[in-house]
Order: sequence, then C-alpha cells, then structure tokens
Amino acid sequence: MTRPILLIDDLNTAFKVGGEWRNVIRDVSFEIAERETVAVVGESGSGKSVTAMSIMRLLGPNARSTGRIEFEGQDLLSLPMEAMQTIRGNRIGMIFQEPMTSLNPVLKIGNQITEVLMQHRGMDQAAARAEAVRLLDRVRIPSAEARLNEYPLSFSGGMRQRVVIAIALACEPKLLIADEPTTALDVTIQAQILELIKTLQQEEGMSVLFITHDMGVVAEISDRTVVMYRGDIVEADTTKRIFRDAAHPYTRALLSAVPQLGSMAGEPRPLRFPIVDMRTGEAQPVKQTADTVRAEEAPILQVEHLVTRFPVRKGLLQRTVGNIHAVEDVSFEVRKGETLSLVGESGCGKSTTGRSIIRLTELTSGSVSISGRDVASASKSELADIRRDAQMIFQDPFESLNPRMRVGDAIAEPMITHGLVKRSDAQQRVGALLEQVGLSQAMADRFPHEFSGGQRQRVCIARALALDPKLIVADESVSALDVSIKAQVINLMLDLQEQLGLGYLFISHDMAVVERISHRVAVMYLGEIVEIGPRQAVFENPQHPYTRKLMSAVPIADPTRRRARTISTDEIRSPYHDAGYAPAARQYQEISAGHFVQMQAVEKAA
Amino acid sequence: MSNPHELSTSVHAGTETIAAKPAMSPLKRTLIALLHNRLALVGLIITGILLLAAVLAPVLAPQDPYDLAQLDIMDGRLAPGGESMTGLTYWLGTDTQGRDLVSAIMYGLRTSILVGLVSAAVALVIGTSIGLFSAYAGGRIDAVLMRIVDIQLSFPSILIALIFLAILGQGVDKIIIALVVTQWAYYARTVRGSALVESKRAYIEAARSMALPDRSIIFRHMLPNCLPPLIVVATMRIAYAIMLEATLSFLGIGLPVTEPSLGLLISNGFEYILSGDYWISFFPGITLLLLIVGINLIGDALRDILNPRREG
Repeated sequence: MTRPILLIDDLNTAFKVGGEWRNVIRDVSFEIAERETVAVVGESGSGKSVTAMSIMRLLGPNARSTGRIEFEGQDLLSLPMEAMQTIRGNRIGMIFQEPMTSLNPVLKIGNQITEVLMQHRGMDQAAARAEAVRLLDRVRIPSAEARLNEYPLSFSGGMRQRVVIAIALACEPKLLIADEPTTALDVTIQAQILELIKTLQQEEGMSVLFITHDMGVVAEISDRTVVMYRGDIVEADTTKRIFRDAAHPYTRALLSAVPQLGSMAGEPRPLRFPIVDMRTGEAQPVKQTADTVRAEEAPILQVEHLVTRFPVRKGLLQRTVGNIHAVEDVSFEVRKGETLSLVGESGCGKSTTGRSIIRLTELTSGSVSISGRDVASASKSELADIRRDAQMIFQDPFESLNPRMRVGDAIAEPMITHGLVKRSDAQQRVGALLEQVGLSQAMADRFPHEFSGGQRQRVCIARALALDPKLIVADESVSALDVSIKAQVINLMLDLQEQLGLGYLFISHDMAVVERISHRVAVMYLGEIVEIGPRQAVFENPQHPYTRKLMSAVPIADPTRRRARTISTDEIRSPYHDAGYAPAARQYQEISAGHFVQMQAVEKAA
Repeated sequence: MSNPHELSTSVHAGTETIAAKPAMSPLKRTLIALLHNRLALVGLIITGILLLAAVLAPVLAPQDPYDLAQLDIMDGRLAPGGESMTGLTYWLGTDTQGRDLVSAIMYGLRTSILVGLVSAAVALVIGTSIGLFSAYAGGRIDAVLMRIVDIQLSFPSILIALIFLAILGQGVDKIIIALVVTQWAYYARTVRGSALVESKRAYIEAARSMALPDRSIIFRHMLPNCLPPLIVVATMRIAYAIMLEATLSFLGIGLPVTEPSLGLLISNGFEYILSGDYWISFFPGITLLLLIVGINLIGDALRDILNPRREG
C-alpha cells in the first residue's frame, strides 16, 4: 500500500478555559489513503470539528495541539504559519457547514473564485476567468458564464454550497475537508451535493475527510469511518463493517438510534427506537406501541381549505404587488391518539400550516376547528380557551424557553394564568410533570442554560402538557437534537401518546423519523398537500412524483444499499405569485382507503 | 413511571452532559463580574465615595454652607488650607461668601446626584413603557411613536432643556421635568430595539401559543430580557443628566441659588479664576469630573459584561 495522504498520530488538542488547559480531543489517530473518503462521525461535543480544525491549524491562540499530523510526508504541526498558508486552500481544500457565511456577500461570485486562482495559481485575469467558468461547470452550475457576475444573494443554499466547493477545488487540492457540508441543506439538495462530492472525488483523484453527525450520510459516502465520542475515537473501521457489526457499545447505541427509511415496511403502528446502553452495549427489547387512534370519535383537529398568504408590498404606497402562497387549500384532520406528520422541504409551508392552526399566523381563508371550536372566527378570549387544547413545541428548545425564568416557573405560569391550579399547588403539579417527561422534581429551580439540549426539549414538552392539551403541534421538535437524544425524545412522545391519548401534528423534514412515528402522513410541496394517507400506504406505495423524489433523496444508513443517482440541479421553486393569481382548484385521486394523491394539473406540480 | 422502558429513558436523560454551573441569579453574576473588572472597581469606589459623601453631607460636612449664621464674610476667598477666624481649617478654601468649599461640594453633590438619579429614573420608566408598548403593538402605533422619538432626538438636548426651563422657570422639580423630557426618547429607542428582537424569538411565540395575557408577556417575558442594554444606557444617561444639569446651572438657568449644585458652584467661582482664586471653580469641577468618570467606568464595564455574545 502506498503512503497515506494524511496521517494523524496521537493528536491531542486542548483549549484554554479560564486559565486552565482542557483536553478536547485525546489521542486521535487515523489515516487517509489516496482517493479514499474517510468519515469522522459523532454527536455534538464529540470533537469531530475540532479534529478538522486542528488539521488546518485554524483554532487560534487559545488552543494547543500536540502529536503528529503528517500531510504528504510533512508534519503540519511543526510548520511555521506562513508555510501553513500555502498548504491551506492550496493542497487542502475546505468546505464548511454554512454556505451563507462562507461566501462574502458583497463580492461577485466570479471575483471570489478568480481571486483564489490569481493568488494561489498565479493566473492572469483572463485565464482565471476562463478557469472559473470551468470550475462552476464542474460543480454543475447551469449557465456558469452568466452567473459569474452575480452576487451570492441570488444563489440558493445548494447553489452557494456548489460555489464553495468550486472555490475549494480551485487549486486542485489533494485533500478535501468537508465539515458538515450538507447539514444546513434540504434533503433533495443534500443528495445532489453528496453525489457531486462523490463524482468530483473520482474525477479529481482527491481524498476526502468528511465530518458529519448523520449516519445516513456516512453510509452513502465514506469508505472508512471513524466514530468519535466525547473527544475519543471509539471505533474506526471500514464503513461496511461498522454498519454490519460494530464492536463498541457506543457505536451500536448510535446506530440503533438512527431511523432508517424503509425499515418500517409491514409495521402497522409507530415503533419506538430500541435504546442500547452506551456502556454495556445491551439492547432493551422494544415495546410495541398500543393502538391509540380513536377513529370512532370526532377529530380533535379539522382543517378545511386552509389558505395562508403573505402579501409582498412595494413602493411608496405599499401596494400589494404579489403574495407568498405559503399554504394553499390544505385540508386534513387529526384524531385523538393519532399522529399526522406534515413532511416537506424548507419553504413548503408545513410550519406555516402549524402556526396558522393556532393562529400564531393569521390565516387568509378556510376553516380550522379544534375540538369542534372554530379558530378562524374566535375572539381573543375564545382563542385563549382554544389554545389550551392545542399546544405547540418548537424546534429550538433553548430559544423557546425564557432564559431569565426558572423552568419551574415557566411550566407553572400557563397553569396559573388559566386557573387550572392554585398558586400553592403549582409546585407539586410542576414536579409531577417533570417526572412524567423523565426529569426530576428538583430541576424546577434551574434556569434553561443549566440543561442539555435533550433535557430542555423535555422541559418544553412538560410545559406543553401543563395545560392538559388534546393536540400537540410539534414543529421540527426533534430536528435540532443529536441522534441518540432524538430517539429518546421520540420514545417519550410515543409514551405520552399512549398514556394521555394525545393527537400529534408532527411537522418535520426528516422522512425517516416521520416513518417511525406517524399513523398518517401528508407530503407538502409549495404550500399544497401533494399526497396524504396512512403511513404504510404513502411510504410503501408512493404515487406522487415529488414524494418519490423526496424518498429517493434520503440517505440510507446502510452502505450495502447505496444507490447511484444522477446529479440533478433541480431547485425548490418559489411560492411567490403576482397579485391576482388564483391557483387552479386541485383534484385528488383516492388510490386506496384514505390515500389521496394530487392529480397532475395542467400546471406541473413537481 | 412503572414500566422499565420509561425508566431507561429517564436514566439516559440524566447522563447527558449539562453545564455544571450552580444556579446563580443574573444579578449576582453581574455583580461578581463587575468586582473582577479592575476599571469597574475603580469606578465603583469613586462613585461609592462620592455617593456616601452626598448622602452623609449633613453629618460629615464641617459646616452647613447655607446657614448664613455659620458663614463669615471675613473668611471670603481663603486659599486651600487657610484658617478661619474661629480656627477652623478650610482644606479646599472658601468662596466669596466665606463658605467652606468641602461642605459646599458635599451639598452640591447631593443636589446633582438627586437630580440625575430622579430624572433618569422617571425617564427610564416612561421611556421603557413607551418602547415596550411600541414594539409590542407594532404597525402604525409603532411608526408614530418612533417618529416622535426621531424628532426629539434630532434636537440637541440642551436646547430642549433650555426651552422648557424658559417656560417652566427655575426649581429642582422644573429641572427634573426638563431632564426627563430630554432623556426619555433614548430609553424608548433602546428598549424598542431590543424588544423587537425579543418579540421575534421563539419563547415569546411559545408564550403567545399558551395564551398568556399580553400584560404578562410584556412585563414577565419581554422586559427582563430587554434589561441588559437598558441598564447600560441608564448608567450612561445618569452621568449625562448630571452633566446637563451642571451645564444648565452653570448658565444660570438651572437651579436657584438656594439649592446650589456642582454646576452652580463652578459658575460662582468662574469670574475669579483669572484673578488667581482658581479653587472656587476648580474643586467642584474636579468633583464633577470624578463623578462622571466613575459612573462611565461602571457603565463601560456593564456593557461588556451584559453583552449577550459574552454570555455562556
């Protein structure tokens, strides 16, 4: 075997915190061979990004690395900073998570690329421009030449990430470090970028170090995988072997918590995640969920022809020149004990639908009724009453808790305001709620910043339960959580559904999680429901082209099921229309009992 | 929690890493941080001493500078360290009326600080209420209120104060009113800015989705989170109010001679500076300077400490 491109030996990195050196990664050793893709995977705080930053020596004066990082036979750690400059961006390219912030917003795309070419490769203006066009072509940006003169603002997130990749490729690096490059992107765009990186790697003969938290992405892209946990490498092996028979308990715990699209085939009801103990590696048997759906009772949430549009105003008189059609003619219902998932990509109107239901956003037309009471026409006091029945859990648990309020007070406040408990009994009830969500009574005195992410989301769930609701609107409630925590919170939600007969409107972009948790699924695209039906029907027999596209884009956490895709450059279309635009009435076709698919109208829907 | 599965989830929730900080109230945290900042400590000491001198003036001051029976015109314009007919030492000298300057400065501080604090407090309450209301109401109400603030801020404060004092006349209450009128807009602008940011955050949405009354959303949720920038502005504004009052008094349109502030003391000695009796203006001036610098040092440190980007 030839010498590896990158060899890391006993790398330790410490940060100076309050005058003390604290080790963040310990004895990290691995290597990347030529034309190989190695994934470093771990949850937040595992040290995976610090490892990448240490290699590039981008950590600043408050960090210290020891050990050996050998790149093409040179020890990077002992190089002077100036020499490092010539390696950075030249021999080693880097892509970051946020394509919005890694491009300068006030410089034209073309200039940002030619700048690198002129500086590092000594090209003149004309040659650099020609090369820039070639690079944009390589990352499959359509009509590259014309787009050179545009600013990053006019590029979508996926397109921006392509530009960042083009810049990283500008100097024909031997190694590409990609730090969560697809995390901020939609799933169909993520699939495009992953495919692009794979193809480019073969075309350019690079090695790739891929940092990610997503086991699905790992299975899609990497030859070998390094699993990190709290600063240590717990396991490193070929990707196939890691997925087939992981040796370390942590790896097994992580893998068991990863939802896999398609793993629910034949399951009639939602399924809990198996929880594997991180120390012993023992798996708890998964308890089946009970049949919680009360089909015979009247639905707790009924949405009919819901439309929410946001006017776009312009000019001196603020005339409405057009509308964002965030939600268009959406109808569905949720029964007691049932989970209906709204799934779709960013901008498809799923969150707006959730917010319109409890009128956090005013609806334009249509009707929403919760427990038989109409939301759209409710007065302020009636609305307050209705909102008791329908509670919301938001994406970011830290943002949705008042940072200056003890969590006990935060949970007690709605109960006291609505007169559900007396002030003197509140504490006891808060304690009971905290225990119900798997926390302890004593935690009521803490402030939100004293909890971890998963615990905070439990606090938010406890607060939502405080008003004894019948319906919970969960807007991307588990999306920001680490995999293993996500699995636990989903299990908790399933437990609570069993105990309390809650109805969930589960809003998510994550197809695999949706498959796990839902009774019924509605797929949204451009503000409309394109397909709705029982989970099994939608997932096992998807009818609408968009549903199929969405499902094929989901990375599958199984390296043996890799699919070859063609690199498309499709983008998500804009829901903006000029004022006076009236969307055509949609027709739905019933495929099987309760499974409806939007008919292809004259206008193409996807 | 009877089933074993439930137990396992709760055990796992317990093993997550959490910030191992003891629960400390934000106030206590700020105070401790303030004491660890060297410049802030200097500011705190200066301001503390001056504040103490002002509060305890009736007890500590060698004489009551405004009790005419205690003054002797023969002691007029004594240099610092000079002795009176009765054997008393005037460490900072005396003014034209034979007033001990140490005592005069202590009493002057009293008035200056009182006017500064009261006007800042009243302006804070009014400005904060208007700012919060403006941000929460939004739309046309917000636009109208903020245009008023704009207009107010586009005039120099001293001009507005002059106009008001010309209409109202002299007196402690009058100057407080004038200072409030010139200051409230700063608070309104600051609070409205941070309240707008806060009102877009998810916890306010969460509060709305739980159907909490507007009153408790504004005062229990929004206000506490708008406090940090407000506290910083308030400290700086107190210093500014004291300075503005001194300026007005110096110009002779602020406080009546019966309740002299530092500004008036400076003004009293002004005409003697050129004839060599510098101390009558100089020492009140130094005191004013120390007070303003002291408060500003605290304000600067608070701005650093309360900067949300620094909060862990």
